[in-house]
Amino acid sequence: MRVLVVEDEKKTASFVRKALQAEGFAVDVCHDGDEALAAARATPFDGIVLDIMLPGRDGLSVLRQLRERKNATPVLLLSARGEVNERVEGLNAGADDYLPKPFELAELVARVRALTRRSGENKSTVLRVADLTLDTVTHRAQRDGADIELTAREYRLLEFLMHSPGRLCGRMMILEKVWDYDFDPGTNLVDVYIRRLREKIDANFQPKLLHTVRGSGYLLKEAP
Amino acid sequence: MTIRTRLTFWYAGILTASLLVIGFGTYREIDERLRHEHHREPEEHALAEAGEMIFQVGLPAIVLGLLGGWWLTRRALAPMTKLTDAVEKIHERNLREPLPRTGNNDELDRLTDVFNGMLARLDDSFNRTREFTLHASHELKTPLTVLCGETETALRDDSLAPAERERAASLLDELRRLTRIVDGLALLAKADAGQVALKLEPMRFDELVRDNFADAQILAEPHGIRVELTACEEITVRGDRHRLRQLLLNLADNAVKYNQLRGWVTMSLRRAGDAAELTIANSGPGIPPEILPRVFDRFYRGDPAHSQAVDGCGLGLSIVQWIVSAHKGSVKIESMPGISTTVTVRLPLGANR
Repeated sequence: MRVLVVEDEKKTASFVRKALQAEGFAVDVCHDGDEALAAARATPFDGIVLDIMLPGRDGLSVLRQLRERKNATPVLLLSARGEVNERVEGLNAGADDYLPKPFELAELVARVRALTRRSGENKSTVLRVADLTLDTVTHRAQRDGADIELTAREYRLLEFLMHSPGRLCGRMMILEKVWDYDFDPGTNLVDVYIRRLREKIDANFQPKLLHTVRGSGYLLKEAP
Repeated sequence: MTIRTRLTFWYAGILTASLLVIGFGTYREIDERLRHEHHREPEEHALAEAGEMIFQVGLPAIVLGLLGGWWLTRRALAPMTKLTDAVEKIHERNLREPLPRTGNNDELDRLTDVFNGMLARLDDSFNRTREFTLHASHELKTPLTVLCGETETALRDDSLAPAERERAASLLDELRRLTRIVDGLALLAKADAGQVALKLEPMRFDELVRDNFADAQILAEPHGIRVELTACEEITVRGDRHRLRQLLLNLADNAVKYNQLRGWVTMSLRRAGDAAELTIANSGPGIPPEILPRVFDRFYRGDPAHSQAVDGCGLGLSIVQWIVSAHKGSVKIESMPGISTTVTVRLPLGANR
C-alpha cells in the first residue's frame, strides 16, 4: 500500500510519515499543491492525505483537479480550520474523509487504513475474532457459543471494532462512526462503553480480546 | 418626571405669569379710566371687569397654550424618543448599524453622530478582540498537532521504559485537554464572528433526548448516580442535529460531573406553549446565587477548589448558550445550593413550518 502525504508543515509531515510507515505503508511526502498534483499523476497511490492549507495551490483545488482528471484515489483531507462548512465543501469536492487538526495520530492512521481498504473487503455477514462472532444480519453476538445480550449502541461499537480486528481504533473515529458526533464531547463516554462491552465479551472468557492502548485508542485482537 | 411634562408645566407657568401681568396692566388701565370718568368709583368694579376680561380671554389662551405646548414639546422630543428606542436595541452584534439621523442638522443630529462614532469605535475594538481569539486559536492548532503527534509517536516506541511511557501518556492527556479548549475557543470565536452556519432542519427532538438519556445513564453508572427520564413528549423542532446533540451531551455530562456520589439526575421534555421545554435537574452541590449569573461566562469557574476536582474545558456552558441562542431559544439555570440544580432549555417548536 502506497500513500501520498501532502503537508507543508515539515514536523507534522514527518510524524505522519513515521506513523504510517510503522503500519506498513509506503509513504511519499510533498510539501505543496503543485508538487502533489504532479506526484499523484505520476504514481498510482492507494490513498492521499491532503492538507487544505498549502502554499500555492490549496488542498481543495488539488482535490478538484484530481477528480476532474478522473483520478479516484481515496483522499483524506486535513484542516486546521475545522469548520462544519469546510467538511461539507471538502466532501462535495470529492474527498472521502475529513479530519480536523489537531488530530490524534491513531485517528489518522485508522482513517487511512479504512480508506485504502475499501475494495476487496471480507464481505461475510458474520464477523469473527477468535471465538467471538457477530452476525451483522441478525445482530446476534456469541462468544464460545454463548449468546451475549447487547444494547443497540454496544452492538454498533462492537461491530465497528470487529470490522478492523487487530487494528487500533481512535476515540474520535469511534465517536464519529458509532455515535455520529462530529465534535469531541470531552466526556469519557467511549471509555465507559468499552468497559461495559468488556464486561460482556471478556469478563468470563479467556483470552481477553478488547484492549485499551493508553493515549491512542482501542483494539480487538486475540493475542495481547 | 419626563422632559415633556416639565417643559409643559414651565410653559403653563410662564403663560399664567404673563397673563397675570397683562391682567394687572388691564386692571390699572380700567381703574385709571374709571377714576377719570366717574371720579372715584369703588375699586371692586374695575377688579370685576378686569377679572372678567382675563376669564374670557386669558383662560382659553391658557388652555390653547397648554395644548400647543404639549404638542410642541412632543414634536421637538420625537427624534429623542426615536433615538432612545434605537440606542436601546444596541448590543454587540448590531454595532455596525448606524442610528437614524433626523436630517435637520440640529443638536439631536449632532448627538446621533457622536453616538454613531462611538459605536463604530466599539465595533472596531470588539472585532479586534474577536479576531484575536480566532487567530490565536488557529495559530495554536499547528503546534498542538505537532506536540500531540510527537507524543503519540513516542508512545508507540516499544523500547520506552514504563515510567517514561506513563509520563508521555499523562502528557498526552493534558495535550488532549488543551486541544479541547482550543477547539471550543475556536468554535465560539467563529460563532461570535457569525462564521458558523447551522444546518437547520425539522427533527424529532424527543428522539435526540432519548438517545442522550441512554448515554447519560452510562456516564452516571460508575458514580452510582440514578438517571430518570420523567417525560418525553413527541416534539419536532427546527435544529442542527449535531449541535443539538452537543448541547444535550454537554448538559448531561455536567449533570453527572457536578453531582454527588449516589445522587440523581432527572430529565424531561415537554411542550410548553409554543416551545419545547427540556429540563435537566440534578442533586448536585448547587451553585451559590452570587455565581449563578456568571456560569455561562467563558472559562468562569465559580469555586477554585471545585475546578481542580472536575475535569472540563471551562467552555461547556458557553457553548450550550451559543447553541441555544443560535436556535432562537433560551436557557436558564436555577439552583438551591446543597439541594439541586436545574437547567431549563426552551427551543421554538418547528412543526409544520
